[in-house]
Amino acid sequence: MKIEDQAVASASRGCPYSGLGSQYRAFEHEGVHEFLARARQEEPVFYSPEIDYWVVTRREDVMAVMRHPDRFSASTTLEPVTPFPEELSRFLRENDFTIEPVQSNTDRPKHTRIRMAAGQFLNAKRYASYYPQIKEMIERDVAALKGREQIDLIADLAYELPARIVFLLLGIHDVDPRQIKRWGFNRAALTWGRTPPEHMMDAGRDLNEFFQFSRALVQQRKEQPGDDYPSKLLEIRGGNDEVLTENEIICLVFGIMLAGHEAVTAAMGNIFHALLEQPGNWARLVDNPALIPSAVEEGLRFNSGMFNWRRRATEDVVLGGVTVPKDAKILVSLGSANRDDRHFADPHTFDPTRANVREHLAFGSGIHVCIGAPLARFQMVTLLEALVREFPRMTLIPNQTPNWIRTICPRGLTTLLAYPNGVAHA
Amino acid sequence: MPKVTWMFEDGGEVFADVKDGLSLMDAAVHNGVRGVIGECGGGLMCATCHVYVDPAFAHLTGEASAMESDLLDMTEVPRRPESRLSCQLVASEVLDGLVLRVPSA
Repeated sequence: MKIEDQAVASASRGCPYSGLGSQYRAFEHEGVHEFLARARQEEPVFYSPEIDYWVVTRREDVMAVMRHPDRFSASTTLEPVTPFPEELSRFLRENDFTIEPVQSNTDRPKHTRIRMAAGQFLNAKRYASYYPQIKEMIERDVAALKGREQIDLIADLAYELPARIVFLLLGIHDVDPRQIKRWGFNRAALTWGRTPPEHMMDAGRDLNEFFQFSRALVQQRKEQPGDDYPSKLLEIRGGNDEVLTENEIICLVFGIMLAGHEAVTAAMGNIFHALLEQPGNWARLVDNPALIPSAVEEGLRFNSGMFNWRRRATEDVVLGGVTVPKDAKILVSLGSANRDDRHFADPHTFDPTRANVREHLAFGSGIHVCIGAPLARFQMVTLLEALVREFPRMTLIPNQTPNWIRTICPRGLTTLLAYPNGVAHA
Repeated sequence: MPKVTWMFEDGGEVFADVKDGLSLMDAAVHNGVRGVIGECGGGLMCATCHVYVDPAFAHLTGEASAMESDLLDMTEVPRRPESRLSCQLVASEVLDGLVLRVPSA
């Protein structure tokens, strides 16, 4: 009851521009955990004029949003947070950029239809059929680092690997994964960042090139089906638009080429950071590798790679005691929910042995929960197992200033430098 | 409104009256049943609402669908003949007195 009273009190301050919201820096990640801890206490649902979003910080309220998809539409999920200039919108319209909502940004009933189709390929059982190949890839990547004195855990490991795994699912053998990474990063920046106006057109052309690559891939699989995701989608479609349209398939392929790696790269880097920045965490896994799956869950909780996610209210709705008006845009802070001390004891401590370690919301929750979560978990666990085994004395290079990508949703590091064999080699 | 009991391996239990039509995963989450996460909200994607149905009720809960069965092959704690995903079990009067055992990881 006390919690409700506080929230009502903060709502009754009236003007949404007052209070904490004006101090919120949506694109900055430095100090964000301290700020959000204060918000959870003082003003758990606040309005941010900087981005025109209501920010939801407590786990209970985040769950209420994610678990009621009819009251909170997903339509705003991939909307550019910085609107496209008219010139760019026109360019995309005139160049066959026929993107439409298919997964994370669709509502029911369309979402159910598409999820059921995509789920026939994107499921734990199918992922498991790739695990031997993925394990081999990871072992090779890790073996290649032997003999190096210094490595960048992002550039040398976390950057490309998830994209190469997406390629496995897509049956792509002849494209440089760096191309997909560049396209993916660019799309993430356009969707969730503040791209300066002078760079918008270039970024938009690049975005369209990425989309047309997806179209060409689907066209190629139509002519020559293989054992891969686009071929399976075409098979499920069976020429019937009521099951899936061809454009929806193109959009699904375009979707996995972002969702399949951008967040995984971010999450991997964050887990490495959490494990290596505090003394003892790495050694604990070296001594007891059975802890690794829980350490991955704790890493996802501790510094979520998808830090925030977006919804839109379909009606006036009371959230944490605050009335959020119909059509208002909502930023659910998964990263904040994951450090809510109402649910996680001692939330700012990295502890892989906490009893509810799997109850984080890093993959979302409810009907839109990340469809690739089992695959992401497998990659992270397998990579950590190999690293801990091969480099038990790994340490971070001291005095690095973490450089977080400046976006409102993904939270990831651009570099993370380490001595794989410890300081003796420095 | 059937009465449902979730039992844990350590001997603890949760007991609740469940509204007709509600999935037993939703009921578990609402009642704070530990070990039932229901990450995907009943979308048949995650297998985090795995339970063992008391054999006395097996004839009332029916068989798992092919999609549910695929997921049951991938649960964190191994599948048993009485394994079900509780998101696929819907509360109704006939399930009154149902006992579900929650596997421990």
